[in-house]
Amino acid sequence: MWITFRHFMQTYVDDVRYGFRKYAPDMNNFEVRQGVDAQGAFTVQYPDEKLAMPERFRFVPFLVVEDYDHEERPGKDWCTSCGICAKVCPPQCIWIVRSNDPETGRPVPEPEAFFIDIDICMNCGFCAEFCPFDAIKMDHDYELASYDRTTNHIFDKEKLSKEFRYWKTIAPTRAIEEAEARGGWEHKDAQKAARRGGSARTSRTNQDTGRAEKREAVASREAVAEAPASATSAEDEKAKRREAALQRKAARAAKTETAESAPSEAEGQQPWNDSEDEKAKRREAALRRKAARAAKRADDSE
Amino acid sequence: MGVDVQQVVDHNGVQTDQLIVNMGPHHPSTHGVFRMVMELDGETITKLEPVMGYLHRNHEKIGERNTFLHNIPFTDRLDYLSSMGNNHGYVLAVEQLLALGARYDPPTYRAEVLRVLMVELNRIVNHLWALGFWLNDLGAFFTPVLYFTQERERILDLFEATAGSRMMCNYMRFGGVFADLPERIHSVSNLINDRVRDFDTMKFLTEMINERIPRTIDELDEYLTQNDIVLARSKGVGYISREDAIDYSTAGPVLRGSGVAYDVRRADPYSIYPELDFDVAVQQEGDMYSRYMVRLIELRESLRILKQLLPRLEYTKGEPVNENNAQYSSKVPIGEAYGRVENGKGELGFYVVSAGDKRAAANPWRYHVRAPSFINLTPLGLMCEGNKVADAVAILGSIDIVLGETDR
Ligand code: SF4
Ligand code: SF4
Repeated sequence: MWITFRHFMQTYVDDVRYGFRKYAPDMNNFEVRQGVDAQGAFTVQYPDEKLAMPERFRFVPFLVVEDYDHEERPGKDWCTSCGICAKVCPPQCIWIVRSNDPETGRPVPEPEAFFIDIDICMNCGFCAEFCPFDAIKMDHDYELASYDRTTNHIFDKEKLSKEFRYWKTIAPTRAIEEAEARGGWEHKDAQKAARRGGSARTSRTNQDTGRAEKREAVASREAVAEAPASATSAEDEKAKRREAALQRKAARAAKTETAESAPSEAEGQQPWNDSEDEKAKRREAALRRKAARAAKRADDSE
Repeated sequence: MGVDVQQVVDHNGVQTDQLIVNMGPHHPSTHGVFRMVMELDGETITKLEPVMGYLHRNHEKIGERNTFLHNIPFTDRLDYLSSMGNNHGYVLAVEQLLALGARYDPPTYRAEVLRVLMVELNRIVNHLWALGFWLNDLGAFFTPVLYFTQERERILDLFEATAGSRMMCNYMRFGGVFADLPERIHSVSNLINDRVRDFDTMKFLTEMINERIPRTIDELDEYLTQNDIVLARSKGVGYISREDAIDYSTAGPVLRGSGVAYDVRRADPYSIYPELDFDVAVQQEGDMYSRYMVRLIELRESLRILKQLLPRLEYTKGEPVNENNAQYSSKVPIGEAYGRVENGKGELGFYVVSAGDKRAAANPWRYHVRAPSFINLTPLGLMCEGNKVADAVAILGSIDIVLGETDR
């Protein structure tokens, strides 16, 4: 009897302690109820409050594409259509169509179509784990309910593609680790191309940025690794990590500014959250830039 | 006139007919889709027959289509309350095949420690859930479950931060585990709150193991072990004798509740259990109460193991946890193996036969699961005979079944 009573009281002790803040319609009070110190029994009022996801949380995968304002390869798929993910998928819900160059007929390392039946996907994470190009990642967006599952639940390439930047946001530590393993933020192929050297200029800059970014990645990783050892309080550490992130962001911003085509979107806005036509606009802009660059290259060679 | 005096006397003056009642498959107290055919004499059960198979999903046949690796996430879906234990059993079986006849191929020490850590936490989750729902069946409606859930949620938070999912963990791999513990349990999120959960993993674990879970178990003990209603409802009910328990080849708390000290962790030690210090919980009575006591003692023993794991986790920090990470199509040498672990519900075994082309096979030729829920359920009729209808529900709860595993 006492135990029931104690739990009952604890539920209200928190209320008193926090001055009934948790009933205020302000989302910031959420931590009062779900934090470490919460004693009583509380429920998350789901559509209004949502639990945040840890970094490794896995839900249906998405395909990584290069940022739409990337200098060299805007919106390019990271996927090389190697087919490993389709092979390791236990319920076999990935369908890839490889693409061929329309002129030469040779295979191009880019999928023409990529489908995942998210009704079948068991969210096991194998595809993300075994993809050699870090091109498919597990998403955090779990709200997928729709009225028509026959059409809406087979995700095609367009629906699956998300910018690389998004991955860096939902899984900062993982992204850094992977960048280290790859040897830079860039895609493996881009690095290889840079090393081989297309034109001398781009290759040098590319390598430089690649190296700089690697150094930066290592440095920020150290910052992350160091933090728990040196910082005594969680606050400190968070601040440090935020700082590191800001530095990274600043570096990125600086880099994009030097590029000829300035990015049309304001930095800091969340590009994965905006509406369809904005996305389309961005994609269009990327394509335009690509075309312009191609034209320029043609000019140069002439 | 036509009254049979003897029959009236036998039934306390009330004449009753034999009545056959179908309970389930859609019945809230059967913990899933499970059917019991009861022959009643008034309120008393004279015969009970469990009918399984309503959740059959062809698990074993699918397992033979899958490659060895594919089966790991499928084992999560067997006993979905203790997926870590399921992973462990399957991985042990395949590692045994990979080890070419050796006992099994042990991964790095840290990987072993992590495996045992997860499995023991999972046992706590499982027992809290089992006891909670058993008390539910006894009429303590959802109050204990609610308090257990609070601790369970915290353990699941750890699973989520480490393995990526709360219940379908898919954590173990051949030769190690999926990933090390994260530095911090924190949420990066595109959602609303990111300040709520940010703990140092080791501190979180230490607090959980040293304070939170013991507190809950003490509460449970204090609250219910000497509770009159629990005693009245469970003492002497659902009896299964030591011999019958062995004959039906039951395992886990059902077997240990009948006085047989059989625990796979001791009988056939695997992983790092030989070096850990814990006792096998045994009770002699063979009734529901002794099964309850076995679970309660096991909760404490699990905590004892977890406490020994904490220093091991500290000094193995930084060791690799997975040896062959890039291997997505493991070719498994021909042979057969049986990997077994002590899961929360009893002995869980995976029998895997690898046979295919000449030297190695990509998928199992035969894949069989020895599911403790299924085997513990077979003597249900024996346990229920002579008890009342209301007890049947509680006896079923005291066996602790998960239909996902029973029917596969
Ligand atoms: S494994 Fe990665 S690169 Fe290969 S097809 Fe899948 S997503 Fe593309
Ligand atoms: S998460 Fe698992 S089931 Fe889903 S697409 Fe990837 S490999 Fe397939």
